[in-house]
Amino acid sequence: MVGDARTLVDLVARVGAAAAGERVPVQVGDSDPELVGRWCERAGHRLLRIDDGVAVIMRGPIPDDDAVLAEIPPERQPGTRLWIYTNFDCNLACDYCCARSSPQAERRAVGPERIRRLVAEGAEHGVTEVYLTGGEPFLLLDLDEIVRDCVARLPTTVLTNGMLFRGRRLRMLRAMPRDGLALQISLDSATPDLHDLHRGAGSWQRALDGIRTARDEGFRVRVAATVSPGAAGTDETAAFHGLLDGLGIERADRVIRPVAQRGFADDGVTLTVESLVPEVTVTADGVYWHPVAADHADQLVTRDLFPLADAIDEVRRRFADYRRESELAAQRFTCA
Amino acid sequence: MRQAVLVGAVAYTTNVVPIWEGIRDYFADGPVEMDFVLFSNYGRQVDALIDGTIDIAWNTNLAWVRTVLQTDGRCRALAMRDIDRTFQTVFVSRAGASLGDLADLRGRRVALGSRDSAQAAILPVKYMRDAGLGTDDVELIRIDTDLGKHGDTGRSELDAVRALLDEEADAVALGINTWEAIGSDELMPDALTEFWRSPEYCHCNFTALDSLPDDVGKLFVDHLLAMSWDDPKQRTVMELEGLRREWVLPELDGYASLFTAVEEQGIPARW
Repeated sequence: MVGDARTLVDLVARVGAAAAGERVPVQVGDSDPELVGRWCERAGHRLLRIDDGVAVIMRGPIPDDDAVLAEIPPERQPGTRLWIYTNFDCNLACDYCCARSSPQAERRAVGPERIRRLVAEGAEHGVTEVYLTGGEPFLLLDLDEIVRDCVARLPTTVLTNGMLFRGRRLRMLRAMPRDGLALQISLDSATPDLHDLHRGAGSWQRALDGIRTARDEGFRVRVAATVSPGAAGTDETAAFHGLLDGLGIERADRVIRPVAQRGFADDGVTLTVESLVPEVTVTADGVYWHPVAADHADQLVTRDLFPLADAIDEVRRRFADYRRESELAAQRFTCA
Repeated sequence: MRQAVLVGAVAYTTNVVPIWEGIRDYFADGPVEMDFVLFSNYGRQVDALIDGTIDIAWNTNLAWVRTVLQTDGRCRALAMRDIDRTFQTVFVSRAGASLGDLADLRGRRVALGSRDSAQAAILPVKYMRDAGLGTDDVELIRIDTDLGKHGDTGRSELDAVRALLDEEADAVALGINTWEAIGSDELMPDALTEFWRSPEYCHCNFTALDSLPDDVGKLFVDHLLAMSWDDPKQRTVMELEGLRREWVLPELDGYASLFTAVEEQGIPARW
């Protein structure tokens, strides 16, 4: 009994003197592990393990999930954006495609019924924006129906290469609502060379034509460029902005991002669940951590699309855990 | 525009830095900015308050009493934690020691914390005197670790508990915070037991001199009291500082027993 009491005094002295979040090893000898656990719980610390008579304790107060998430700006809160991979097939075969989409890729469509349900459930659980992406969504001949259903609930963006606005698909585009909808068209460079190098000959000009068509039809157009590290210097970037200025694309509607080392890309930025702020992403195969890795098992959250609220909660919980862990790693990793 | 209000605090734990950086960040969004200066002991901090180096001192109860005595009362308490209104001292013995009241300590050994700790030394001596125990009636074992920090580290109290467990003392006087940190007698009822608990008294407060402009003091207090336990970021700071839930206005009657103890024991106003 006295031994246990001494252990408790040692715990107060050692853990109490540590910095919040620090992992503190404390000799507990043969003391009752349950007693150590109860003390930690009562004092707001976390018992991580007891090995060979040494308890390792995370010094509290340990921020709860809400406190961790409060550090993230409102617009980037996990669970506010809902990405849906409407299909996976594409009319292009970009060599850096993170989703491994191409004309040869099998169509894996979520379908209008499930998309409607996903958006409805998402809207009830904190989702404020919907992003529809492909492959190429305009390959789907019911995309206008899907878009109308989404826009009826939430502001929606459709990601497209902008190359298919002809004939029936142009009529489909024209049937889409203007309010609450944006088209995000991929354009990588100010001139055809870089863009066509990765996306195929002639694709730059057709994307440019697509941007003009969408603008002429009264749509809000965002432009997203995917750039290899070192491929775009200051002059190239300035020329790109000059082109977009001429096209009437608002500065806030321009996204320039690096190639991710995912999918077809051999090089690029390494992205993991620990390093990404999650954006809940649904494909026909499951719910994923982030759209950049929607075809990768390491970022699969669950195979169950429904209820979507469960997946969103799981993403938020895991994100808070990763953040707490990374804070701790930063505190304990020193080189000298 | 007025410069930031400068608050002094004593660095008794590594967590003092994130606590005050968190409070500074909170005030950055408010009507009056604040910054902080850390001191190694309360003596230096009170000197800095009186000579105008800092505007406000986050003081222990003893530091408050000494500020009042040194300034002839030309100072005021602005605010405190909710737990500071209901602080207590407990007397603890080994389980089965058959101590039921302070009077039972006659002829016994009592371990006290640092002599500048109100909760673990100064007030316990007063409580024993009030119970009729004179200087020769009890053997006091003083454990003066971390002098200058007024018992904030809790180290001297934990050393006193060790002395009790080692049977070098028959009883120990502890602040309620240390007793609860150990787990009071819930986690080890067969080892230690509380046999006397003091009336509630006040502990820390934000102390300012009368020269602090009223409007500045009001802005500081109003914004401090607006800190919300329901805000996750603010709550993290409040938890770390040991609040139960909120900052509150001071309750000065709660310092009366310590003023009396300081006078009775001849504790100097400055050290």
